[in-house]
Amino acid sequence: MVDFMQFAINGILVGGLYALVGVSIVLVFKATQVVSLAHGQLLAFGALFFWIFLDQLNFPVWVALLGTISLAALMGFITERFTIRPLIGESLFTAFLMTFSVFMFLDGFFQLYLSGQSRAYSPFLPEGTFNLSGVIISKGLLSSFTIAMLIFAALFAFFKFTRTGLQMRATSENHILAQSAGIGVKKVFTLIWIISSAVVAIGGIACANVMDIHYPLPYIGIKGLIVAMFGGLESIGGALLAGILLGLIENLSSGYLDGPLGGGVKDAAAYVILLLILIVKPYGLFGLKKIERI
Amino acid sequence: MLNIENVEVIYSDVILVLKGVSLNVPAGKIISLLGANGAGKTTTLKAISGLLHTELGQVTDGSITFDGKPIHKLGPEEIVRKGIVQVLEGRPTFEQLTTEENLLVGASSLKDKSNIKSDLDRIYGYFPRLKELRKRISGYLSGGEKQMQVIGRALMAHPQLMLLDEPSLGLSPLMVDQIFEIIETINVNEKTSMLLVEQNAMVALSISHHGFVMENGRIVMEDTSVSLMQNEDIKEFYLGLSSGGARKNYRDVKHYRRRKRWLA
Ligand SMILES: Nc1ncnc2c1ncn2[C@@H]1O[C@H](COP(=O)(O)OP(=O)(O)O)[C@@H](O)[C@H]1O
Ligand SMILES: [Mg+2]
Repeated sequence: MVDFMQFAINGILVGGLYALVGVSIVLVFKATQVVSLAHGQLLAFGALFFWIFLDQLNFPVWVALLGTISLAALMGFITERFTIRPLIGESLFTAFLMTFSVFMFLDGFFQLYLSGQSRAYSPFLPEGTFNLSGVIISKGLLSSFTIAMLIFAALFAFFKFTRTGLQMRATSENHILAQSAGIGVKKVFTLIWIISSAVVAIGGIACANVMDIHYPLPYIGIKGLIVAMFGGLESIGGALLAGILLGLIENLSSGYLDGPLGGGVKDAAAYVILLLILIVKPYGLFGLKKIERI
Repeated sequence: MLNIENVEVIYSDVILVLKGVSLNVPAGKIISLLGANGAGKTTTLKAISGLLHTELGQVTDGSITFDGKPIHKLGPEEIVRKGIVQVLEGRPTFEQLTTEENLLVGASSLKDKSNIKSDLDRIYGYFPRLKELRKRISGYLSGGEKQMQVIGRALMAHPQLMLLDEPSLGLSPLMVDQIFEIIETINVNEKTSMLLVEQNAMVALSISHHGFVMENGRIVMEDTSVSLMQNEDIKEFYLGLSSGGARKNYRDVKHYRRRKRWLA
C-alpha cells in the first residue's frame, strides 16, 4: 500500500508538469487549430535559457526566470510570425508539418549546444524530502507541482475574467465570426503563441529540474502532445486531468512492471496510451461537444 | 454614407458573382436589398464587411467607399472599427459562450471600455429576453433568441451602419414582426443606418425607406419602398401575391461547401 501511494504521489506530481506542457499545446490548438510540435523545442530551449541565466551568468533565480520567460515568449512570437502566419489560409496539415520542421531545425541547435553532455541546475528550489506517513515526497517536485497548479489557476482566471481571454475563447470557436465581431484574429494567434511559449518554458524548467538538461528533453513535447490529445485538445481542464492521469499511469506501471520487465516501461506506457486514444477516443476524454439543438 | 460603384466580385479567381453592382446607403436610412437565392446579396454584404477575403472572394473592379474613404482593401476587424458591422446569415453565435459573453465579444472593437456596463443595459433594454438569458450558454437558444443576440452583439460595437443578412429566415411570423420592430426602433433611436438583405420582401419594404432588387449579380430595380410595394413584378415574385405564385419557402437556403481552410 505504501508502495502504491508512493508511486501514485510521484505520478501526480510529475503529471502536473506534463499537464503544463500539454496545456501549452492545447492553447495553440484551441485558438488556431494547429497542432504544434514546435513546443517540444520551446520547452527544451526554455530549460536551456534558464540554465544559462542561472548557472552561466549567475543571475538571481527570479531574474533568470523572467529572462527565460521573455526569451521563450520572443521565440514563440518569432516562430508564429515567420513560420505559421504565412501559412494562414493553407491547410492545417501544412501548418502541422511546419511545426515539425521547426522542431527538427531547432533540434539541431539544441544537440549542437549540448554536444552529448548533460547540464544540471544548481539547486534553486527547496531541496530534500519529507516523509508523509511512510510516503517520501521530494520538496523540489512538490514545489514545481505547486507552480504548475498556480499557472493553471492563472490561465483559468485569464480566460474567465479578462477581455482578451474572452476574445481568445471566441476566436477559438469561430474565426470568421470572431473577425466579424471586430476581433483581430491574427493578433490573438500571436498572443496565444507568446503565452503558450512562456508556459511551456516554465514547464521545461520544471522538467529539467527533475531530469536535468540532456538530449531527450525536447521529446517531453511529445508527452505534452499525448496529454493534449488525451484531454481532448480543446480543454484546459482536460489537459490538467490528462497530464495527471498520464503521470499516474507512467509511474504506477513502471513502479510495478519495471522490476519484472527490466525497465523502460514508463515511456512505453505513454505511447501505448497515445495509440489507445487514437483508436478508441480520437476526440480525447474531454473534447468539446458540438452543441446540437434537437 | 456607404457608396458602392460598379462592384465586381470573383470567387476563387474564376467564379464571377457580382457583375457591376451599384448601390448606396444614406446616413440614417434603412435600405432593403431584395433578391432570390443565389442572386448575390450575401456576397454584396461580405464585400462591404471585408469578410469576402475569408472565402477566397475578391473585389476585382469598382469601389466601395464609406464616408468617402475606400474600404475594400481593409480587413474585417478594421471595417468594424470604422463603424460597419455585419449580422451574418443564419445568426451564428459563439455557442460555448453565454449570452452576456457574446455581447461583450461584440464590444471587442471599442478602445474605451468604460461604457460597457451601460451598453449592456442598453441592449437589454431593446431585448429584455436577453437579460433573462444572460448566463445561459448560447448553443441552446431558440432561433429568435439567437437573432436577438446577434443583433445585440452587433449593437455593442456602436455601428453607424449595420448589414443585416436575412434576419427573418426561418422565424415564426410573430417573431419576425418583433425583430423588425426592434430593427426599426434601433434605426430611430441610435441613428444607425441599415442595409437589410431579405427574401421576405413585404416585411423588409415595410420598414425600409428605399429598396434595391438584385438578380444574377446585378441590380435590376431600385425605387422607394412605397413604390416597390406597388410594383407588379415585385408583387408577383417577392410578395407572393400573384395568382400562381406560391409563397417562397425561406428554408430553401443553399449552403455552400466552403473549401476547408483555417481562418484565412
Ligand atoms: N465562397 C464561394 N465560392 C464560390 N461561389 C460562391 C461562394 N459564395 C457564394 N457563391 C456563389 O455566388 C452566388 C451568390 O451567392 P450569395 O451571395 O450567397 O447569394 P444570396 O445571398 O443572394 O443567396 C451563388 O451562385 C453562389 O453559388
Ligand atoms: Mg444569402
